[in-house]
Amino acid sequence: MLLPPTNAKIVARRAEIVAALREIVPDGVVADESGLATFDADALSAYHQMPLVCVLPSNRQQVSEILRYAQKEGVPIVPRGAGTSLSGGALPREDGILIGMGRMKRILEIDYENGCVVVEPGVTNLNITKAVEANGFYYAPDPSSQVACTIGGNVAENSGGLHCLKYGLTTNNLLGVTLVLLGGEIVTLGGKCGAQGGLDLLGLVTGSEGLLGVVVEVIVKILRKAPVTRTLMASFDTVTAAGACVAAVIADGVVPAAMEFMDGRAAEAIESYNQPGYPLGSAAILIVDADGVEADVSHAISRVTEIVTQCGGQAVEATDEKQRARIWSGRKAAFAAMGKLAPDMICMDGTIPRHALPFVLDEMAKLSEKYELGFCNVFHAGDGNLHPLIIFDIMKPGEFERAEAFGADILRLCVKVGGVLSGEHGVGVEKRDLMTDMFTSEELALQGRVKCAFDAQGLFNPGKVFPTLSACVEQGHIHVHGAQLPHPHLPRF
Amino acid sequence: METIASEAQAVEFVRAAREARAPFEIVAGGTRRQVGKPTGDLPRLDVSGLSGIVKYEPAELIVTAAPSTPLTEITSVLAEKGQRLGFDPADWSRLLGSNGVATLGGAASADASGSGRLRHGAARDSLLAFRGVNGQGEAFRGGAKVVKNVTGFDLPKLVCGAYGTLCVLTELTFRVFPKPPLAVTLCLADVEPEVGFAALRKIALSALEPAGLAYLPATMMPGVGQGAALIKLEGARQPLEEKIALAHGLLGQSVQRIEEDLFPAIASGEKFADLPGHVWRMMVAPADAPRVVKELNAQHWLGDWAGGLIWLAAAPADASRVRAIAAAAKGQAMLLRGSSDARAALGLYAPQDPALATLGRAVKAAFDPLGLFNPGRF
Repeated sequence: MLLPPTNAKIVARRAEIVAALREIVPDGVVADESGLATFDADALSAYHQMPLVCVLPSNRQQVSEILRYAQKEGVPIVPRGAGTSLSGGALPREDGILIGMGRMKRILEIDYENGCVVVEPGVTNLNITKAVEANGFYYAPDPSSQVACTIGGNVAENSGGLHCLKYGLTTNNLLGVTLVLLGGEIVTLGGKCGAQGGLDLLGLVTGSEGLLGVVVEVIVKILRKAPVTRTLMASFDTVTAAGACVAAVIADGVVPAAMEFMDGRAAEAIESYNQPGYPLGSAAILIVDADGVEADVSHAISRVTEIVTQCGGQAVEATDEKQRARIWSGRKAAFAAMGKLAPDMICMDGTIPRHALPFVLDEMAKLSEKYELGFCNVFHAGDGNLHPLIIFDIMKPGEFERAEAFGADILRLCVKVGGVLSGEHGVGVEKRDLMTDMFTSEELALQGRVKCAFDAQGLFNPGKVFPTLSACVEQGHIHVHGAQLPHPHLPRF
Repeated sequence: METIASEAQAVEFVRAAREARAPFEIVAGGTRRQVGKPTGDLPRLDVSGLSGIVKYEPAELIVTAAPSTPLTEITSVLAEKGQRLGFDPADWSRLLGSNGVATLGGAASADASGSGRLRHGAARDSLLAFRGVNGQGEAFRGGAKVVKNVTGFDLPKLVCGAYGTLCVLTELTFRVFPKPPLAVTLCLADVEPEVGFAALRKIALSALEPAGLAYLPATMMPGVGQGAALIKLEGARQPLEEKIALAHGLLGQSVQRIEEDLFPAIASGEKFADLPGHVWRMMVAPADAPRVVKELNAQHWLGDWAGGLIWLAAAPADASRVRAIAAAAKGQAMLLRGSSDARAALGLYAPQDPALATLGRAVKAAFDPLGLFNPGRF
């Protein structure tokens, strides 16, 4: 992975920068080596880099002063929530201030009258639901890292989860954010009224991967928990039959609250990991949740059962809440369970049109042979969001490189069939160099100019998302050829 | 006036305009030309030829259409397959006195959502991808034709509600959803605003997934005493009966089923079409609605989105008072209908915080550095 070159002049000024940050946040600067080691990677753990310094502000004024200082001194900034990004969005820089938002974790207001909660960015996704569930409410987006990931990180990545098909991504569940801009200015985008009185900058900032500003406050919508939720597990002898079943369910007009697919290999690994009761010997398993009022759910469950049978599968319904939880506990442990198959794993994330599923599954099997690496498939079938899990052993020479190349080919395949590089994990550093496979040079230049509108100096999260390093003044004159890496002379990171 | 019917022609037109540094107004069906600041006497680019459904994939839950496709065309094509658009587009043509045809691109560009926004979200929540031509005369795409995508900046959000100031749209891809086969409206009659809005919020915060929640005072709906809270529920027959029973459980048995679906007339603003003066759409936090309508002290108003949207007819002299009330409630008062002078003076929305306005201008410039598209409109 190639990152913009380290600015040695900034690194040389480290002591002075640390001192300046200590002035702003006396009790929240991490500068010693062992302390910084905690922050040297996110969940894309193959990449490590010690930050120049880490600062942990506890209020928005401190964030504002840090960003004013960073702009004045031209020091790069890498924002970080809980560090659960799977795409390297929070990978530090040797010449950059890592700004960790974990101390800003207060729930500021629970407003049941307006169906929303106002929180600081460091509140975890699950803690929002926990704060309101006693009253029958929840926060809908539920990424599998929800125990740990923060809402600020969710805003940065536009996180999804299991229930996006029906309830949308983070962006569809936000009413407003307060954002600190480079230079320290604090702006409010949206609010409880749900209006912005101008361009939808809230929509732009959501999913911007720390490239535009630092979020210091978030207003999320909360929803009333559905009165009834039922879960169905279906097993199939072929992957194609399972794929056809997914398409048939959607075409039938059923909108499941969640519809998850896993192939036989993943199911077996999970079964041996935490015994959720998955049938062994099937080629593919679907887990389907239906929620709503009783009659809606009964209708959905009986329709899905019929369609499963028509597609040659076998459906079993969870008989009680305990079994429901058990079935889901397996799916949520899918990544961890891969440890049963191999020491290391890369979790990919792309979205395809659902009709392309059989073709993509076939092609992935061919790629697996080509790269001589195993893989499993778990994915959010309802919305076509694939999570191929490539398994390898980093101790075996060449396997990591092959795994990365395998992953990149899978993502190119997604783009080729009309899909995208990322359904919910973001681009980060992981997929940055594939952006040229998906966007033309004009499209990337346009997005680059949008970035410049917020950050003309290119100080926010440099080297993430966009493959080019052009300064804002050069925008509009960028040339990218095919998937060729720009700046090939840069040292390997 | 130039007409175009393809993206290639749009590119050609914009390149020529760029060379000539000649700003222009983009017009499709023309029903929303009278919204926002007047752009003055500019040349017009007629994009109504960019019309028709490009690809409809019911099983993928997406539809791709040219921006000038009439709303009526798209909704009827989707309905044939038992589906509806991901958002609930509003047609304001009767209110605005236009004979034009309301289009998909117009509804998205004006962020025109009807009563269903409460449940289904706005256009920005279901626009997955678009194609357009930017101010450099380059055709580009934003987003992608899949339902879940976080690759690069979410540009589809920006073009919704941008009133055509960022690019010439040439193609739009929306999410679609199954359309529930039946709908009923329940009416809680003879309640004052405070009680009516409280009932609506109760339903909004329930699991009933209401398709419409509006309060109409007696001036807007004669024969209902002080006013009526209207609740629209959807579903297949059995689920719908269950939802009605649950609504009765929440609000009591005095809630009556009514035959007429009043929501189309609420969403289109046509109840205000024959009233004089300005027509405003004010967005506030729903729980603030009772207090805000009391402060407004208006004759003709109604509350949609469980109070989150207040429609209001007001005398031109009341404009600054309306804006001040919205500002005090941390809301937004959008001037939907007004004379050309009033719209020029008041703008579509109140002036933004300077930092935000600067940011908005910079984002606009990223798309359209020379300010060619609908200059000053918004």
